[in-house]
Amino acid sequence: MSSITLKRSYSRSSILSQVHNLGLNYITCLLSSVSEPQSHHFSPSIQKQPKYGNGYHFLRESGTGFSSLFMKTLKISYGSHWVTFPTNYYVRQFSSHVAFEPSTSYGLTVDGIIANNWTMLDESESDWKSHASAIAQSIHLIKKRLQWKKLIVRLEILSAQLNKPDLWDDPVRAGKICREHGSLMGKMKEVKGFEQELLEHIDMIKLAREENDADLESESLKALLRMRRSTKEKELEALLAGEHDSSSCFIEVQAGAGGTESMDWASMVMQMYKLWAQHRGYGVTVVDEMSGDIAGIKRATIKVDGEYAFGYAKAEVGVHRLVRISPFDSGKRRHTSFAAVAVIPILGDVSSRVQISESDLRIERFRAGGAGGQHVNTTESAVRITHIPTGVTATCQNERSQHQNKASAMAVLQSRVDQLEMARQAQMNAQHTQSLTEISWGNQIRTYVLHPYRMVKDLRTNYEVSDPDSVLEGDLDGFILSFLSASLDKDEDYL
Amino acid sequence: MKLSFTRASLSSVLVPLIFNSNLVRPISCSSVSCSPASAKPQTPLFLRSPTFSATLSDLKKWQDWAKTLASSVGSSFLDSDNGPDATLLQREFNWLIEDALEHPKTIGITDNDKKNMVVTLRADLEDLYELWKQRIEERRPFQYIVGCEHWRDLVLSVQEGVLIPRPETELIVDLVGDVIKDNEGLREGLWADLGTGSGALAIGIGRILGSSGRVIATDLSPVAVAVASFNVQRYNLQDKIKIKQGSWFEPLKDVKGELMGLVSNPPYIPSEHISGLQAEVAKYEPRLALDGGSNGVGSLLHLCNGAVSMLKPGGFFAFETNGENQCKFLVDYMETETEGCFRDAKIISDFAGIQRFVTGFRAQ
Ligand SMILES: C[S@@+](CC[C@H](N)C(=O)[O-])C[C@H]1O[C@@H](n2cnc3c(N)ncnc32)[C@H](O)[C@@H]1O
Repeated sequence: MSSITLKRSYSRSSILSQVHNLGLNYITCLLSSVSEPQSHHFSPSIQKQPKYGNGYHFLRESGTGFSSLFMKTLKISYGSHWVTFPTNYYVRQFSSHVAFEPSTSYGLTVDGIIANNWTMLDESESDWKSHASAIAQSIHLIKKRLQWKKLIVRLEILSAQLNKPDLWDDPVRAGKICREHGSLMGKMKEVKGFEQELLEHIDMIKLAREENDADLESESLKALLRMRRSTKEKELEALLAGEHDSSSCFIEVQAGAGGTESMDWASMVMQMYKLWAQHRGYGVTVVDEMSGDIAGIKRATIKVDGEYAFGYAKAEVGVHRLVRISPFDSGKRRHTSFAAVAVIPILGDVSSRVQISESDLRIERFRAGGAGGQHVNTTESAVRITHIPTGVTATCQNERSQHQNKASAMAVLQSRVDQLEMARQAQMNAQHTQSLTEISWGNQIRTYVLHPYRMVKDLRTNYEVSDPDSVLEGDLDGFILSFLSASLDKDEDYL
Repeated sequence: MKLSFTRASLSSVLVPLIFNSNLVRPISCSSVSCSPASAKPQTPLFLRSPTFSATLSDLKKWQDWAKTLASSVGSSFLDSDNGPDATLLQREFNWLIEDALEHPKTIGITDNDKKNMVVTLRADLEDLYELWKQRIEERRPFQYIVGCEHWRDLVLSVQEGVLIPRPETELIVDLVGDVIKDNEGLREGLWADLGTGSGALAIGIGRILGSSGRVIATDLSPVAVAVASFNVQRYNLQDKIKIKQGSWFEPLKDVKGELMGLVSNPPYIPSEHISGLQAEVAKYEPRLALDGGSNGVGSLLHLCNGAVSMLKPGGFFAFETNGENQCKFLVDYMETETEGCFRDAKIISDFAGIQRFVTGFRAQ
């Protein structure tokens, strides 16, 4: 009966998901009807717990005399207020856990808050309505970015699969389903937790006012402010909720037609990404680079290591166009050059990678000349690896040993083969980005103009900047975020 | 140009353990850099302490100068003797930076107000000028310049007097890895690497053998013995790998018939081809490591014959050769002259598609 196994946790999201599980809104509703909440003095064991003003504490006491007193009660603390409920309330509630619109004790819902259109004052104004509507709007945006409706449908499909008795006949697939289910569930619970928490704070403010409890009111207000800030941050995180967004990635740049002109532009673009990645604190390594005959690069691949590298960089996929007076043209004419950019995620989860067997590979010395062996001393030890069944190839020549070049090329090959597989499965649910060979030169995403005026403009979002130098030095976040939000936020019928 | 340095500063980079700083001799690059008679191992650049410094702007001047020098080469070396082209030299220069600077990334700083920033170096800037001149103008091998070669996942110390291990040879370790994977006898047995040079094969194999697997590595050259010992120590394998000086099997008399594995990359270039090799090899690498006699197979045949009595039944061997002709010759020899002694003799190609290795087992 009283099998509450909740422990205080510092992780907000886990508390909130637990809170949600217990259908706390029900308890909240009760709150207003409990005329005299039983207040307890802190016992020493409770005082050791950090005191939080912005949440509820569920405590399971065990093995002490103290516990017996609470065996069948659930304690909720709100600031200095402790409220106790008989456990059978929430047990009943837990078992009849159904989806319904959470609301405050007087029927206000999150959508209701948005519909109220309260004037939104600055954070510093300490106005609870402003906080509440800012939070409600953040939640709304987060849901939109998570593609809420799709997420719920997907969760239902996954849950159905999880319930099938033959699930574990294919352990790899089962593992995948479990992981995806867990990750989506986490996202859903977090958002629901936000909704609950918001409404509870509003209830508390009401309660505090009714009881003229200034402390409680100010605590609640502070809690709302904290929430306002943290949900604002979550808006950004929700932009990067795609399946592989948190992965590291490879960025590839290839020069378009136009010889030296475009090869120079391709190396400028590559440099822009190197600087961007460094500014973000990512690790950058050049994996493969084919220099142009006179200047620049024909193509190059860099590896960008760090959390969310793929999530951000995927916004850069497509053709980048440059307009300038050519430094290579003695006639000082205006030239237009193109460079194509592809981004490939490096899947962290080994089980989701394509299994490549040694016998499917052909490994060749990249620039073999002459008799080799003792005859030749060269620091050039690049290899080209071909995956025979798909024809995908990869090369690395920037490592100092053949063994390491081979290992790096293999990592690139693996990701390219994975990407191909993702593209194949794209109709299901995986997001995928185009490889260099798939990108059409007509797919221009951004123009950089250095002459006759100076501007960088994204053709997808119309986001523009009048200082090309800063962009070419890696200041790309404005473009990336505006693209990510535009692509997720435009979709209005998600809810 | 930048040649006003002293003998003293140069020797501190090139031969710190051999000479004291006050030896006064006119500078002659080949005599400075090549001291093949010495059996003292030199410390590779990347392992030296960063006790030198230069301002960022001086360092960048050196970089600009070096890059210009490298690109002036174009494809002239490539065309004349299959040597390095400008692109490869540029890449080598980046690796020189990697080894010479305590924090290699600092050279990428473009802030103008940082130009007087002090950058710490593992060699004097003047010596770095000289080293790069030697690379381009004298064709001194890059690996001797920095004193190391990256080989497999190892960084091996090398110096004049020791062959710079080749990428092809890496594959021998993979071949050994394949045969020991499901054969405990081989994995835990005694192996030999004959003509070990820098110790590359011995160390590569020592790291994949089981806990009771051992390697004995031999070389006739005292410099090779010193350098191989240094490398073995650096990878902390001195309990697993013994380096012995002597000719081929001669230091192994007491383990006759006990070897579970035998690998070797003996000199195999026919004598008459040596002078036509690219400058880096012909001018700088030890002849003892390259010259295989009139048809190049002398040492290989000697190893083949020795393997008959040295290997335990079921023991594995892998030899590197000059190519298709030597491979075929060797396999043919095994099938006729030492008939019945070996089984499963195989020819294996390198990544350039050249038939490079002969492997097999001592028959039961
Ligand atoms: C081609 S090098 C190989 C070095 C090393 N194993 C590698 O693969 O990098 C040949 C080596 O055989 C050594 N060598 C030549 N004649 C020898 C002999 N008679 N006995 C032992 N070693 C010899 C040379 O000193 C040289 O180190």
